Amino acid sequence: MDISADDLAGGITKVVLRGRFDTTGAVVVELPFNKIATEKQKIVVDLSAVNFLASYGIRVLLVAAKIVKSNSGSLVVVCPDNNVAKVLKTAGMDALIPIYQTEAAAMAALAS
Amino acid sequence: MIAMSNAGASRLVLRNDVAELERLAGWIEGFTRQGTSPDVSFAVQLCLEEAVANIIMYGGADASVIAVELERNYGTLVARIEDNGRQFDPTRAPGPVPAASLDEAKVGDLGIHLMRSFANGMDYERRDGRNRLTLRFVEPLAASSE
Repeated sequence: MDISADDLAGGITKVVLRGRFDTTGAVVVELPFNKIATEKQKIVVDLSAVNFLASYGIRVLLVAAKIVKSNSGSLVVVCPDNNVAKVLKTAGMDALIPIYQTEAAAMAALAS
Repeated sequence: MIAMSNAGASRLVLRNDVAELERLAGWIEGFTRQGTSPDVSFAVQLCLEEAVANIIMYGGADASVIAVELERNYGTLVARIEDNGRQFDPTRAPGPVPAASLDEAKVGDLGIHLMRSFANGMDYERRDGRNRLTLRFVEPLAASSE
């Protein structure tokens, strides 16, 4: 699994995660992801290239969202309607973290 | 470590080590590559990852052996997980309490809830000092024709 981050216009940081967001993958991205969450205020996390998600991955997402919120920022997720989205919904994450199916919708939410 | 016990079943023995989860994932992928729908394959991957990660993280040092078996039975895929760790019945674990806000949300305790949601059945028994968990996954087509 890998993670990349790009600063976009409007102070938005786009974090792209790729691969299997399972225990093994989550351990790899946890520290760099927390660092971004600590430093940035508006974060869009793109899960379009994540093909698998398990509870440890959800934990990493939730911790990052909590860090950003504690700094008065916001974190939103882009995830197409697939099994990864089903895991997020089953875990109740859709009630805690805004999840959008397209990047355009996520960007619009962060810009407003 | 993969031994075919009969034509439709496959067994994998894992050590009590978090690095083994990667080997588990590769093995499941191999088993489900043919004759399994993408949704059932995903569900099997998810539930076995959660079950085995729980044993590795909470089963204690006694959990020296974790054996996983997958078997296809017509439209149903049956997964059996056996370990000699601390007694733990995931079917009796309480469900998560929905959080009212991000601040209140508890981190963790989602694995068993995901297993309950993505498997079509989950049975537990403690026998001969071992935990035995059986998970069933029904192919959507098989479910609708039953």
